[in-house]
Amino acid sequence: MQRRQNAQAAVMLAPATGLISVFVFVPMLLTIWLSFQAWSTQTGFETARFVGVQNFIDIFSNSSIGRDFKAALLNTAAYTALSVVIILPLSVLLGLLVHQKLAPGGIFLRTVLFATYMVPMIAVALVFSKLYSPTEGPLNQILGWIGIPAQSWLSSPQTALWSIVLLNVWQQIGYFTVLATAGLTQIPDALHEAARIDGAGPLQRFFTITLPLLGNTLLFSAVIAIINSVQVFEPVALITQGGPVNATNVLTYHIRRVGIERAQGGLGSAMAVTLMLSLIVAIAALFAFARSRAVKP
Amino acid sequence: MASFRTLARAAGTIAVLLSTTAWVQAADISFLTHWGPDTVAKLEAAAATYTKAHPDTKITVRAVPFGDLLTTLRSSGGGSDGATIAGIYDAWLPDLSKDKLVAPVPDAIAADTKANWPAGVVGAASIGGTLYGIPNEIDVYALNYNKKLFEAAGISAPPKTWDEFLADAEKLTDKSKNQQGFGMINSWAAGVLHPFASLLVSNGGDLVANGKPVLDSKQAKETFELYETLIKKGYSDPAMATADANTTGPFLDNFVSGKTGMIIMANWWESALKAGMGDKFADIATAPIPVGPSGDKARSISYSWMTVVNAKAPADEQKAAWDFLSWLNGPESGPNGASAMGDILMSMGILPSRTSDGKAFADRLSGDPFLKGYTDTLADAKGFPVVLGGQEFSESLQKTLEGMQFGQLSAADAQKTAQDDATEILARNAQ
Repeated sequence: MQRRQNAQAAVMLAPATGLISVFVFVPMLLTIWLSFQAWSTQTGFETARFVGVQNFIDIFSNSSIGRDFKAALLNTAAYTALSVVIILPLSVLLGLLVHQKLAPGGIFLRTVLFATYMVPMIAVALVFSKLYSPTEGPLNQILGWIGIPAQSWLSSPQTALWSIVLLNVWQQIGYFTVLATAGLTQIPDALHEAARIDGAGPLQRFFTITLPLLGNTLLFSAVIAIINSVQVFEPVALITQGGPVNATNVLTYHIRRVGIERAQGGLGSAMAVTLMLSLIVAIAALFAFARSRAVKP
Repeated sequence: MASFRTLARAAGTIAVLLSTTAWVQAADISFLTHWGPDTVAKLEAAAATYTKAHPDTKITVRAVPFGDLLTTLRSSGGGSDGATIAGIYDAWLPDLSKDKLVAPVPDAIAADTKANWPAGVVGAASIGGTLYGIPNEIDVYALNYNKKLFEAAGISAPPKTWDEFLADAEKLTDKSKNQQGFGMINSWAAGVLHPFASLLVSNGGDLVANGKPVLDSKQAKETFELYETLIKKGYSDPAMATADANTTGPFLDNFVSGKTGMIIMANWWESALKAGMGDKFADIATAPIPVGPSGDKARSISYSWMTVVNAKAPADEQKAAWDFLSWLNGPESGPNGASAMGDILMSMGILPSRTSDGKAFADRLSGDPFLKGYTDTLADAKGFPVVLGGQEFSESLQKTLEGMQFGQLSAADAQKTAQDDATEILARNAQ
């Protein structure tokens, strides 16, 4: 009887698990297999030639392949770290503003913030490329009114990545504010009330009640922010093309350049596998950190 | 029985008609280009003219930004469902033909092409003696300068040597007006590389000779040092040099708005300058590339574009595509003995490479002072090297030159890095 039930369950689950296997696991396994091959993306898989770990050696070597890959990996890490470090605290701050009931306008603020998330990236890219123009851009003109010298924004390798991060923060902050607001609504008012009666000030209540109870929301936000940041592609492709001096050449854009433009499928796959492993390590580290914080009294 | 025969004949006739109709409507070809909307409209008009006489062929035009053209061609254009025809840059041809993405030109059209285009242009569209595309445009680099800024700086004539070039760049630089003497370009491989290569050949050097990079030459050393001087003395501001995926952006804006005194660019940007400057376009003049200390005469670099046919497209589509391209590039399709392609190119200020187009547009070419500066340069231009791994080589040298623009590399370090990387890239891609 039990065996029959198991068989029926397997039959019923097969379509869904089969689809997942075909569309998720097969491409992943194929990419891993290709990362050990020399293969042009313009030819069939039958032309792939096994080269062992040579592609991985090449992407970490000191040749132009290795230097470009390592720089793209660092750029991606910096972009991700900066985005997460700015977005998470800002989303909590804005979430508090949206959630508070002392002054009106919370819902309006939430609508305005979320609106930026709905604007298509092509429109954002067009607008920001003009806003950032060093000589004629409105941002530098505004800075000039308050005595701040003109910034080079996208035109300098020192500031280009920061400028793309700011664009990302501007577009994503509404989404993460909504997440933070949802987390804040889950915290019972009674806890704040009790703390207030016990004499706790606003800052003390924030650090001892709000922030600890937002832990799960912030963990979820951090995971999503990391994944979104690692996948950044559109602003780089639309605005900077990875420049200047490869300062904004992030891994997704670089993999496209190597794997598609240059048709070096084996190298591109090795880079994709490395990116996937890096992402897994980063997310696992984040969960480990969250778990270690959770067990502390 | 008679009714049965009549029915059978009718069925047979219908079957033949249906199959003929199916065959007639089979040639559905697409043309992938990076041209802007105005030029695409001209190409569509030419295609409409062709399809009037060839109702069996349907032609659609797809346009993508220049920065996405090669990727589009590789990711979708190379499959059987990809574009049937594509306009490509000659430096991409070796890699595309190695990957068997482009079809050889049929013999009759190849013979016609060899008879009606200059040998150098035909050579750039050929690999191992096999012609892969019908050449259409030829681009050459020259010095563009703003006459009003020259006048204001007290400069009477464009520089002929590097010494004069540096002296003029100094006079034209005015930090208080946010004005630079010479405009470099960054964030766009050809925009970075071609002006540098033009100065290099005008100094008697080369990027590649006999398939090997020669960036370790004395002439290259002097060219790297020239760039270093322009940056260190502030005659060029890299923050004013950015390009975007459409090969426009701040570098163009700064020249158009009179904040850049001189720049080295190709003839094709005439339409962009006219669109951006209006009547002020008359302030722009063209001059040969200044000659370096090791150069013997003003030289420049040139490159060509061609239309190729997707080798993976069905045979009937390939046949229809070659027939259309033969017409489009032939002397019957345009006005006054010019080709329709030549007419489209001239609308953008681009030099058509077909010999008869040169004659058909001779008056316009000689009467347009901006273009005349380019046509005068063409005879002494060297073709940009067409080698396997050309795109990777270009992007690598782009990065090195940008590193020097932003003060990350000295001239000596940039030269060594450029030569080492180019040697490794070309050797690897040649395998």
